[in-house]
Amino acid sequence: MKKILDNISIYLSFLKIALKEILIYRLDCIVGIVSQLIVQAVSLIFIFIVFQNAENIAGWNFKQIILLYGVTRIAIGISGYCFDELYEIGPKYMYNGEFDKILLRPVHPLISIIGGSSEFVSLADFFIGLGITIYMLIELSIPITILLVVKIIFFSIIGALIIGAIITIFSISSFWTYKSNEVIWSFYNIYTFAEYPIDIYNTFIKILITVILPFAFVAYYPTMHYIGFNNYLLYLSPFIAIILWIITIKVWNIALNKYRSTGT
Amino acid sequence: MVKSMIALGRMQLKKYNIYKSNFYLFTFNRIVEVIVYIFVWQAIYYQTGNTGGYTLAEMITYYILVITFSSFALWGVNEDIAHSIRNGQINRELLNPISYFKYYFGVNLGELAFATVVGFATFIICSFFWELVLPANLLDFILCIFVMILGVPITFFIQMIVGTAGFYTNSIWGMQILRKAVIQIFSGIIAPITLFPLWFQEISKWLPFKELIYTPVNIWLGNIEMNEIFFIIIKQIIWGIILYFIAKIFFNHAVKNITINGG
Repeated sequence: MKKILDNISIYLSFLKIALKEILIYRLDCIVGIVSQLIVQAVSLIFIFIVFQNAENIAGWNFKQIILLYGVTRIAIGISGYCFDELYEIGPKYMYNGEFDKILLRPVHPLISIIGGSSEFVSLADFFIGLGITIYMLIELSIPITILLVVKIIFFSIIGALIIGAIITIFSISSFWTYKSNEVIWSFYNIYTFAEYPIDIYNTFIKILITVILPFAFVAYYPTMHYIGFNNYLLYLSPFIAIILWIITIKVWNIALNKYRSTGT
Repeated sequence: MVKSMIALGRMQLKKYNIYKSNFYLFTFNRIVEVIVYIFVWQAIYYQTGNTGGYTLAEMITYYILVITFSSFALWGVNEDIAHSIRNGQINRELLNPISYFKYYFGVNLGELAFATVVGFATFIICSFFWELVLPANLLDFILCIFVMILGVPITFFIQMIVGTAGFYTNSIWGMQILRKAVIQIFSGIIAPITLFPLWFQEISKWLPFKELIYTPVNIWLGNIEMNEIFFIIIKQIIWGIILYFIAKIFFNHAVKNITINGG
């Protein structure tokens, strides 16, 4: 237990350094935030267009879908900030031998790598999500109580952990390809399914995003709960996050034993 | 000249061949994207019996064609150009016996060849899962492809403009996202243009982006009159010429006025 706590505290100090690094590149930061705004606009336009043609989708109205979108962005923002480095693990660490150096450190290599993340664009994601969420909570006249705020914070972090675990599992493909990780992208892309009410999908996709890659627990079930659709599946999220991380670390350690340096 | 451009294109295509897995992943990603759109529209159709003036089969075909064609409109060489500017490779490329524009047009052909392969694979896979509306006659199909091909210079010159911006900024990454977003919104990748507000339709009538996706797809579906297609072709040629001059002037200006540090 002490070992885990040590690792977490080392990770947090890495995170603090990364946050300071952002401030070095001010212009890049602004460009990043603006471009993120544009990307968000594209997704929102689709939702907007769809609701020109329908009152609701599977019982969800326009504002509720936008709220789901906002809550999703919060979790994605956090996970993007904390786990982004895993995309780079191939080209940045494996390809040029940087990974061998990390293996010599007394910390678990996973901590060294995810501690190096400093993806400021995700912070834009986070704040846009926060803005949308607050605005939509007011629009939907859902009372913002302390309990609700605590719930949103708690389940957003849990959601980020679920996404992080899935990214981490698929990052092991870099151990063999030594290049940037399109595999992660592909699985991450499946997340898009969870941005809409899952009742619209067929059984296969429903199982895919609830059981195989439990993306629905990141924002979908929590949002249902905030809106007041009686749904208590969200209380499963923490357990899912824990189970996923146990599996992830086991798999990662197995892959680590199989790792062979490129020799550079 | 054409020969060397094709050779460049083939080289670029071979680069993609190194990582075969990319092909499967790209195709897979595209299909995931399209599935979301299709399910959302299906849900709306089952609720209201109406999908924005299209039949359900037409709407599904619309999105599958969008996903087939969109890599054609979105992928390109501006990342390579910015890269060559940043690391000084451009010095050598400017001295090539082939002009800079022609050189990159050749490379772009390779990109498009890869986009075609991915698009075709996507189309075939999707056609197993959904019933597609096929073009009513051969002429529609040929015109659809023809309008697509006329879009190639347009997207290429836009990319040259974005790539040239690399002279002024350290990374064109933000510009890239902007370019993609503008094309996505105005070309009808997100949704058919007719579903947008009227003022938006009016703007998109004058911009060249609509012809990259929306128009060819609707020609395929047989929604566009023959004489209208004639005007569309003229519009595209004019836009191609305008963008050519903008790209050329901007590029020449940038090359003359900016000095690059070594490389």
